Amino acid sequence: MANKALKTTAVAVTAAALLLGATACGSKNDNTNNSANNSANTGTNAGTNQPAAENVTITFQNIYPDPETPSYKMLHTIVDQYQKDHPNVKIELDSLNTDQQKLKLKTQAASKEVPDITIVNPSAQMKPYVDAGLLAPLNDMLDQNGLKDTFQKGLLDSYSFDNNVYALPDGNNIEVVYYNKDLFTQAGISAPPTTFEDLVADVKALKAKNITPIAIGEKDSWTGSFLFMNVLLRTNGGPGFLQDVLDGKKTFKDPAFTGAVSSFQDLIQAKAFPDGATSLDYNTGGNLFKTGKAAMYIMGTWETGAIDASSVAGKVGVFKFPTVKGKGDPDQYMLAPGSAFAISANSKHLKETKDFLNYFMTEMPKKQFELKNAVGSGQIMTGDFKAAGYSDLAIAVLDLFKNVKGGDLAFDNTMKPAIAQAHLSSIQNMFVQKVDPANVANEHQSAYDSNK
Amino acid sequence: MNVLKVPARTIAVFVLPCLILYIGLVFVPILVAVYDSLLDWDSINKAKFIGLDNFKTMLFHDTNFWPSVRHTLGYAVFSMLEIPVCLFVAALMNRYVRKANTLVSIYFVPVILSVVIIGQLWKTIYNPADMGGMLNGILNSLGLESWTRSWLTEPKIAMYCLYFVSLWQYFGYHLLIQYTGVQNIPTEVYEAAKIDGAEGFKADWYITYPMVIPIFKISIVLAFIGSLQAFDLVWVMTGGGPAHATDTISTHMYTQSFLSLKYGYGSALATSLVFICLVFTVFINFVFKKVEAKYT
Repeated sequence: MANKALKTTAVAVTAAALLLGATACGSKNDNTNNSANNSANTGTNAGTNQPAAENVTITFQNIYPDPETPSYKMLHTIVDQYQKDHPNVKIELDSLNTDQQKLKLKTQAASKEVPDITIVNPSAQMKPYVDAGLLAPLNDMLDQNGLKDTFQKGLLDSYSFDNNVYALPDGNNIEVVYYNKDLFTQAGISAPPTTFEDLVADVKALKAKNITPIAIGEKDSWTGSFLFMNVLLRTNGGPGFLQDVLDGKKTFKDPAFTGAVSSFQDLIQAKAFPDGATSLDYNTGGNLFKTGKAAMYIMGTWETGAIDASSVAGKVGVFKFPTVKGKGDPDQYMLAPGSAFAISANSKHLKETKDFLNYFMTEMPKKQFELKNAVGSGQIMTGDFKAAGYSDLAIAVLDLFKNVKGGDLAFDNTMKPAIAQAHLSSIQNMFVQKVDPANVANEHQSAYDSNK
Repeated sequence: MNVLKVPARTIAVFVLPCLILYIGLVFVPILVAVYDSLLDWDSINKAKFIGLDNFKTMLFHDTNFWPSVRHTLGYAVFSMLEIPVCLFVAALMNRYVRKANTLVSIYFVPVILSVVIIGQLWKTIYNPADMGGMLNGILNSLGLESWTRSWLTEPKIAMYCLYFVSLWQYFGYHLLIQYTGVQNIPTEVYEAAKIDGAEGFKADWYITYPMVIPIFKISIVLAFIGSLQAFDLVWVMTGGGPAHATDTISTHMYTQSFLSLKYGYGSALATSLVFICLVFTVFINFVFKKVEAKYT
């Protein structure tokens, strides 16, 4: 009997709990609806009757959590200044590591709770958010205070869909080859290579002296892909290979692609990369170069500041990625338009948020310049870098920027995430075993076909 | 059955907090995952209901699914094979070591270290010699240059290197459990056996091992379930690479859900993981019921 009573109680209580849960959810929804309505009302009231009186909190999700970095200082000075000028506005910073932020935003997007300002990545990577209507168009805000004209020409295209700009980049970088002049001299290399064949020869010369030729951290597989794409940019004789694939004009079985695979394989087979490269993460890989153990580092120009701050500062030069089999133009680069600030379409304080971001983006280039963090800025710089004390390396990199004749975006900025993942592991595989270029092409093509 | 002689209401009050937590944090999410596994969903845009297509893809078209299952089950097999060794060592310690508690504590140290630390530590040990890899360094100084390799990046051996780290880490954990089990066997039994002429390994064989079976089972189940969920160590050390060579079901699930943005497909993998867990747990229980019936 007791058993039966127990069962009944348990069932009753469980049912009660479930009901409770259900009603709790229901009432919560009501509340949010109400508050949304309220704030909408107060918003319009504030607009007509008493402007700027309302207290506003703007959540600013960002990827500058490290107090040691110039970006952190830039962010905090601008935000502090803005809060001083606008006592009614409180900026709440949500500072996260890049990967954490990506995950958090995905989770938030699933429940439509995107923070007022967040970080997205260009083109294909931000498209799902735009398609889901989570991001606010920023065209009107760009026209205020002439903000639009501060950006480099064409840069905003990577953040635009249907003529609407949805995000503003924090930088614009290109992929270059950094090299350690001392190590080059040790291996008897007089000048940086201008052809891929020379590069492979130099790799062998460095290897003969027991120097790791090229640093890489291929556990984070985008690093290898970024390098591979530069080879593809050359073998294709110019930019646009992936776009042609997307437009149905080419397939991955195109000779440009298989040629890039076999050239890249030549580089790997010449032992250009450290042993166990696929177990090194991005930072460890980069540190091989920054501690003077590796002779070259093929990476985005965002590394310039870090290299200048490392123990090899002053010994490092930079050159353009060479032509491959005589093809390609060294003035075309892998372009890396930076992570970008976007505003939530559902922000409760859309106007205030836009005003703040406008101020932020106007101030950012000035602060970055002062903090010597302006190499690879997405906005036009007017100051004199040399006079401001930028290093020779920084000046050399800035000179490369002057002659950029276009280029390609990274693979994962162009293709859907699922295809990009297949690509990344296919490239990673080349680091651990010899492959048939035709197979790599097939892997890519079938990933593309099944995820179109 | 009500041996406690308390009103059912009281029992319900005590059971309820845990029950609600369990239902809310374990049971409901599993059901949600099962539902999500029927969707084509990137977790941001509108979901499309596609029935069992995700499972079809998983079983017949995903070239990385079966290898990841194999790696996961390999993990489980090796972890379970470790338990008899633990038991053997525990029995030896019980007999020959006087103050074994200190020894057990020392064996237990790796268990309390964070997996991330252990992962980084062993990554360094496995490194190539010119990057300070200890293992290769030792092999070199023994004149075994031909044995050196970059352990974590050769697809054929990387997985075994990961297994080994796990075995090393959890050795102390299972040893502790087995040692406690061995200690709980009453000494009278051994004294009686001594009179009958069973001592040393003979006593172990006929007394210690049969009597410790229930504890043995606990270790086996823990090792099995723990290794099915293997994620953290793999993620820290290899990230599932090179090129999926060390992917387990969990890492594959993570990659698919969060990096490839195929949330529905990731949920299908999660569902299959739950299913595998259930099937094997039932199977292990069945086996042990037979074994226990035979020996106790």
